[in-house]
Amino acid sequence: MSRDVSTVRLTIDRKAVEVPAGTMILQAARRLGIFIPTMCCGEGFEPSTSCMVCVVEAAGFKHLLPACGALAQDGMEIFTDTAVVIKARRAAIELLLSEHAGDCLGPCQTGCPAGMDIPLMIEQIAEGRPDLAIATVKRDIALPAVLGRICPAPCEKVCRRAGCDGAVSICLLKRFAADADLNLENPYLPVCRGSAGKKVAIVGAGPAGLSAAYYLARDGVRCAVFDKSQRPGGALRTGPGREILPDEVLDSEIEQIFRIGPRFRGGVEIGRDILFDRLCEEFDAVFVASGGTDVNDISSFGLEMGQRGVCVEPRTYHTERAGVFAGGRSIGRANLSVRAAADGKEAAVSIVQYLSGLPITGPVERFNSRLGQVSEDEMRCFLAGASSAGRIKPVNQSGGYLYEQAQKEAQRCLHCECLKAESCLLRQQAQTNQARQRSYKGQRKAFIRQNHPAGVVFEPGKCILCGLCIQQAQRQGEGLCFAHRGYEAKVSVPFEKELREGRISFTAECVDVCPTGALAIKKKKT
Amino acid sequence: MKIQTDTDFIEQLIERTGGRPQRILEILHGIQGHFGYLPKEALEKVCLLTEISASQLWGVATFYDEFRLKPAGRHLIKVCVGTACHVKGGQRVFEAFCRYLDIPDGGDTDPRGMFTVQKAACLGCCMLAPAVQIDKIIYGQLTAQKVPEVLRDFLDQQKPAEATEEKLMVACGTGELRVCLDSSCQAAGSAKVYAALKEAVHRAGASAAVKSVGCPGMSYAAPIVDVALGDGRLYRYGRVRPEEAGEIVLRHFRPVGMLGRLRNGWGMFLERLLEDRIGKPPVRFAAGVHDSAIDDYLAGQKHIATEHWGDMDPLNIEEYIAHGGFEGFLKCVKEKTPMQVIGEIERSGLRGRGGGGYPSHLKWAAVAKADAQQKYVVCNGDEGDPGAFMDRMLMESYPFRVLEGMITAARCVGASRGYLYIRAEYPLAVERMAKAIEICRRHGYLGENIFGSGFSFDLEICRGAGAFVCGEETALLASIEGRRGMPRLRPPYPAQQGLWGFPTLVNNVETFAVVPWIIRSGAKAFSSLGTAGSKGTKVFALAGKIVNGGLVEVPMGATIRQIVEGLGGGIAGGKKFKAVQIGGPSGGCVPAHLADTPIDYESLHQAGAIMGSGGLVVLDEDDCMVDIARYFLEFTQTQSCGRCTFCRVGTKRLLEMLEGLCRGENVDIERMESLAEQIRAGSLCGLGRTAANPVLSTLRHFRDEYTAHQQGKCPAKRCRSLIHFSITDKCIGCTICAQRCPAGAIEPRPYQRHEINQIKCVRCGTCRSVCPAEAVEVE
Repeated sequence: MSRDVSTVRLTIDRKAVEVPAGTMILQAARRLGIFIPTMCCGEGFEPSTSCMVCVVEAAGFKHLLPACGALAQDGMEIFTDTAVVIKARRAAIELLLSEHAGDCLGPCQTGCPAGMDIPLMIEQIAEGRPDLAIATVKRDIALPAVLGRICPAPCEKVCRRAGCDGAVSICLLKRFAADADLNLENPYLPVCRGSAGKKVAIVGAGPAGLSAAYYLARDGVRCAVFDKSQRPGGALRTGPGREILPDEVLDSEIEQIFRIGPRFRGGVEIGRDILFDRLCEEFDAVFVASGGTDVNDISSFGLEMGQRGVCVEPRTYHTERAGVFAGGRSIGRANLSVRAAADGKEAAVSIVQYLSGLPITGPVERFNSRLGQVSEDEMRCFLAGASSAGRIKPVNQSGGYLYEQAQKEAQRCLHCECLKAESCLLRQQAQTNQARQRSYKGQRKAFIRQNHPAGVVFEPGKCILCGLCIQQAQRQGEGLCFAHRGYEAKVSVPFEKELREGRISFTAECVDVCPTGALAIKKKKT
Repeated sequence: MKIQTDTDFIEQLIERTGGRPQRILEILHGIQGHFGYLPKEALEKVCLLTEISASQLWGVATFYDEFRLKPAGRHLIKVCVGTACHVKGGQRVFEAFCRYLDIPDGGDTDPRGMFTVQKAACLGCCMLAPAVQIDKIIYGQLTAQKVPEVLRDFLDQQKPAEATEEKLMVACGTGELRVCLDSSCQAAGSAKVYAALKEAVHRAGASAAVKSVGCPGMSYAAPIVDVALGDGRLYRYGRVRPEEAGEIVLRHFRPVGMLGRLRNGWGMFLERLLEDRIGKPPVRFAAGVHDSAIDDYLAGQKHIATEHWGDMDPLNIEEYIAHGGFEGFLKCVKEKTPMQVIGEIERSGLRGRGGGGYPSHLKWAAVAKADAQQKYVVCNGDEGDPGAFMDRMLMESYPFRVLEGMITAARCVGASRGYLYIRAEYPLAVERMAKAIEICRRHGYLGENIFGSGFSFDLEICRGAGAFVCGEETALLASIEGRRGMPRLRPPYPAQQGLWGFPTLVNNVETFAVVPWIIRSGAKAFSSLGTAGSKGTKVFALAGKIVNGGLVEVPMGATIRQIVEGLGGGIAGGKKFKAVQIGGPSGGCVPAHLADTPIDYESLHQAGAIMGSGGLVVLDEDDCMVDIARYFLEFTQTQSCGRCTFCRVGTKRLLEMLEGLCRGENVDIERMESLAEQIRAGSLCGLGRTAANPVLSTLRHFRDEYTAHQQGKCPAKRCRSLIHFSITDKCIGCTICAQRCPAGAIEPRPYQRHEINQIKCVRCGTCRSVCPAEAVEVE
């Protein structure tokens, strides 16, 4: 053979490749455009061969090989996507998740039917930026001033502080952000996408319909909202008493929705004034959100009905009739307005997918690690970073917070959420590999949060022991090391010294290489 | 403060060891030896004085079990929880020490700071199980009840008879008295017997030499005294007590006339002794007169690694040479080329004895062919399997043989430096090997230009520090280099890139120990023993529920039954033979119905076990297989280095499942099996890949026991959460159980039926074992 001895030839997923001797399988695969997932392997660092997410099968080998640290050898036949590999990859992730001590999202956000980024809103209020807070709120809730008055706040029931000295008053904070916004001369308006030329009919101007209209409009869809009443609001206008939800608040918040495009057609009853079929012909899609009161009217729409309402595909809100979606109380979901509003927002996602000719999947369900019950020590750790004050009572006549009160209350937030929820590789891998966190039950790591200089936050319970920060620290001449062994192994400062005695160990660069939320920088969100 | 005044000590220590990172373990051993633990101030001082960084030092100091970061009590009690000790109740002994010494929960030292109690992975005294080491003294065959007695005995003799290692005159004229002073025989009291014999010889003015010899292997009868008379007659005494030393000396080394007169008297003495003895009577073996027990034990054995056992002074190089020692090596130097020798090894069919069974000649040839300016030979003496003690005995009894193997290998592969890595738990092996190295240097077997051949080789000892994973060759090399003992992925193999990146030959102690015999006797002699794929002999450490525990060396292909029932004399106490655990934590259990499985690499693999390093623990009907699996998994789980997910987290989750089963929880067995398979397939190194073997092999052969546990039943009545003790009508009200109960769970009520308080009961089984009326039942 005349071939250069310093190269090796192998096949990966049956494709041949020739690479220089000393190349790892991972890099050889990249040459072929085959992407092998990995978490612990950093560009330019020694392979840690620790996470084992990059395992591949090799013909003739009894064991799986971690592609990041296994040398490509002559004649190898590598397979990166067999059932065995996929199973092992998921097992590795699930094992890491089984010990993972951290919430991706705060329990409040997971508990909120609308999935609002509550911790971010709170932080923005704490930093004196209600203008930013309202944008955060309106990303997920179209009627915050309304819900801020009538929502039973499931988020507060799951607030980690609830079991201690009272939950953070999330609902009042949301109301504060919304009220402050409505009091402005020019309240917040979202940036809307350009029109795609499609139009959608929305039947019912209650929380579900209004919410759908808002999010469809934001995504560049023209909407007409039909309601048999002359004024929009649906159950919001008839349900709660005026002392709780004054008309001015309702009107002014609904006005914000119609300011971005949707048209309201009051006094029109679908099925009587306009036939449902005609609506379907005239519009590209229809969203039925006519509430639970007029089931008889809905039945005339000719949609398949279940015991509790219109039958829909639960994740997409799509009925059996193409292009017709339904949500809110008309599909018989719980009575919460916030749930109805969430339905409207989520259905909007499906409708946009339908209008764009994409597969209708509804909103992507993201993987969320949950910490669950915490010990007393862990609670102390959480409390250490928050104001020690108890729940602040509003002194405002109408029952809302004043600016300073809101700020004080916002400082009570424990910020359970992960600072790296969006960039964490473990979360991404868990998502792509459909991993379940409690697949392997067992003792998880302890939740610990240490604040280091330069805003670095170290949460060892989220560490996957890749050692990249140690390698990085070594390059910078700073001292970090692995200490102990096996399940007790951890990243440590030598002699477990108090950080202020030692040199700075965790640098910003260490944070950058950390694949999870174990090392993060607490940045001002403003 | 004491530590500050002791910084001189650190300076002296560093002066002695040097400050290279490679010396970390030695430095840490030195500090711990001085302070009893590793004070942070001392470690910081080391960083100041050497080129070792704080990260490096702290990483290593926290990696190894041997090092303590907190002050310890004045005396260190190591309770062995090796396999043999586990099946014989080591855990209960451990708990009894903690209870008796009033050690607080989560702590390990008694309030007065007298004793620190720790678990030891394996002291290598398996046939004396359960064993405990207090400072340097080993106590064997303990029970929970004996704990106070042991502590009293220890405190009584704060100045124990140290094992004297001084070289003795070889017997001249009338004869010699041979006593084995290996760790396990010392645990049985051989050091005291040795001292008593010397004293008796001196008093009697007898012309006899008292000699320390390599282990005869029959640990079940230790301490053993062999009397070799000038005329070639040999008498062997077993279970000798120090007070009997005088009688033995007088019997053999008295004027003939007097001996005749004493003959009848001697017989009476022995009878008297039999009556006095509680437990087993002393056994007396005379090699001239065939005794059935010893016949069984020695028959079928073939001594290669343990050649001349029981009759050579471990540290007498003249004697070693007189028995053919270094003949093989000199052949290599004078008559053969390295490649010829490697060819000889190839023809002998020798495979690595450390467990993997990799053909030795391939490793040798790879290193020999490698082109490098430096090459190393490393002997892996980090015998960590609980239940295995072959390598310890080989190093303690035949240090020259191990060295000859290493020197021969070095000559063949062209290495000039060697390391002998010995686990920390084997201080006597370290001591003897160090002396043997010194003696070899003096005799020109080590050093520059050995025997004018132009070949130079020297080696040093590296003491481990209690990390099982260091038995894995890449971890072992990392440990020698002074790093944390973390394995890495192969290739590159050590033969390509070993110590500091240079080609390195790593073989196990036993592999090196058979090399001299192969070279001396020829490859054919070796390959004529054994089976098609497994040649030669294998040394096994036989322990557990067996009558005759000890070391045996048998040709490959001998069956498990031959070893257990033949050599081992069957199961002790008339119990039923259930299984043998072969290969330690990486191995598996072979059930009794497969006892005719021949012992070779392939057959054992088919039976779900592995050859391993040679630990063979016999289990009887009282042993719970789920508990055995849990036991091994607990071991590997705590020994994982922590690098890869499957081993670090996977073994933890698997252990939790097994613990659940042992508590009678309804654990999903299929799911557990699947996790075990994942750990096997996905782990990075040998430790992780084999960690689940004990689970998988017991699942394969004893699945019904797993399902029984799911339903809350332990068929062997072993798992404590699933059993309870009760006292039946047979109770005679003698109060013995109440007096002995360590937990105070039984109230003494003379002449009445006793009752056990189930809440206080710790299920140690003491009441059951002491009850004279068999009135305690276990459900």
